[in-house]
Amino acid sequence: MNATRLLQLLSSRLRGRRLDWTLAGLALLLALLPARALAPWTGDIARIAAVPVVPIMHLGMVLRDRIRPPREAFDPRAPEVIELEMSAERYRTLFEQARLKTEALDREVAALKSVRARIGNTGIQLETATVIGIDPTRREGLVRINIGARNGAHRDAAVIIRGDIFGGAVSGDVGEFFSLVKPAPRCSISVRLYPADGTDDSRAASAFPGTVLKPIEGGLWVGDIASDAEIREGQIARIADDRFGTVARGMRVGRVRRVLPNDQVPLARVVEVEPIALLADESGVVVAIDPPEEQAARLGSGGAR
Amino acid sequence: MRWSIYILFSLIAVAIDASLGGILKIGDAQPRFLPIVVVFALLSTPRVHAVRLAMLAGLLADLMSPALRADDTQLVVIGPWTLGFALGALAVVPMRSLLYHRNPISSGFATFVFTLLAAVAFVFIWTVRGLLLRDESPSWWPGTGAGEVWHQAKVALANGVVAVPAIWLLDRTRPLWGFSTAKRVVPGAAREAV
Repeated sequence: MNATRLLQLLSSRLRGRRLDWTLAGLALLLALLPARALAPWTGDIARIAAVPVVPIMHLGMVLRDRIRPPREAFDPRAPEVIELEMSAERYRTLFEQARLKTEALDREVAALKSVRARIGNTGIQLETATVIGIDPTRREGLVRINIGARNGAHRDAAVIIRGDIFGGAVSGDVGEFFSLVKPAPRCSISVRLYPADGTDDSRAASAFPGTVLKPIEGGLWVGDIASDAEIREGQIARIADDRFGTVARGMRVGRVRRVLPNDQVPLARVVEVEPIALLADESGVVVAIDPPEEQAARLGSGGAR
Repeated sequence: MRWSIYILFSLIAVAIDASLGGILKIGDAQPRFLPIVVVFALLSTPRVHAVRLAMLAGLLADLMSPALRADDTQLVVIGPWTLGFALGALAVVPMRSLLYHRNPISSGFATFVFTLLAAVAFVFIWTVRGLLLRDESPSWWPGTGAGEVWHQAKVALANGVVAVPAIWLLDRTRPLWGFSTAKRVVPGAAREAV
């Protein structure tokens, strides 16, 4: 009863500005209450008041993270961040290394398959090798590769580039673990000249004009050819004999650069041939190693040169 | 004015301040939408309700901004923002006659004044509380009260800027609020012409 009367009194007295002042006074009183008087109940009220707000806050947080992902907590100088960045860099390097290695292996496999398809079951062993040193003074200088006698490398073993390009032959200086390769532009090579746009398989090799290419200055070859032979620039020179092993026969070696008249022999012309690829520009090659009996036979006949 | 709509918008504003508002942060000054909602209501509500509605929003602000005590427990002090918002309302209400209240730019200015005065009162009450009780630290500890006023002045400026588009948007919801549109008719030249 007393409470009802009190409420009635309050509602009749506390109106308008008086109510505002009362509320302000109450707020001031609460603001100056010590913590021990506030802590037991204000926290609970705050938790209740937060109930309707929390779902909207959650939605707002999701939106905020979408619009502007949190970066305040990110300290780029923190040790763990630096460590992670270094790890990421290390793994990136390893990944690139693995990718390059995979590409190199793919190239090697393709080259090996190509050569293997060419030689069939002839007993020739194919070894992949890496070019580990070139002559810095001359593009057609000697090249060092990382296989040697221990791997079966022997003099005049054909060194093949990209599956079917004759890159050169192992020189007489065969080390235990590495070999020197004499690049094709420094070898005399018997070739036949095929059209640049492919050949007709039904035609015999002898149907195409042949010549012996001799090295000249500038990493080129020249060879004499009959004037009645049909020769055009761009024709492909392929090896025509077994001087570098049966595997090298038919491989591409160069491209006709120019056809010149021969002043000394009126019925002949001179073809100038440039190499298709140079060993010095390659990183990986395939070396065709003859079976021991064939090597012995070759030694017996005095070698290729 | 419909109080339910006011409370709803205040709760939404508090939620936005505590979440989405962070994307509008410039430096360390984050604009707050709660004072903007209060100013929007103050500019259209009858004078008799003005202080009360501001204190209600201030109470909400107090409940949502607990202070951290020395023993790592939270303390909710009811009063600093409540009184601060009341002071802001007392400043803004007389300005209504000077400002064209449907103009967002004048609303931005009113928001700036409101926020700045509310912040001054907030810092003052916490300072008095600190001097009298010495039992807990204000939310800006270990900074100074002057530093907090300077920080809140930047927040007030940000509020004033954000209020311009925000109040323009709130004005689109005016029919929901149920503001009284009755005008007092006074004798004048136009009336005499009729």
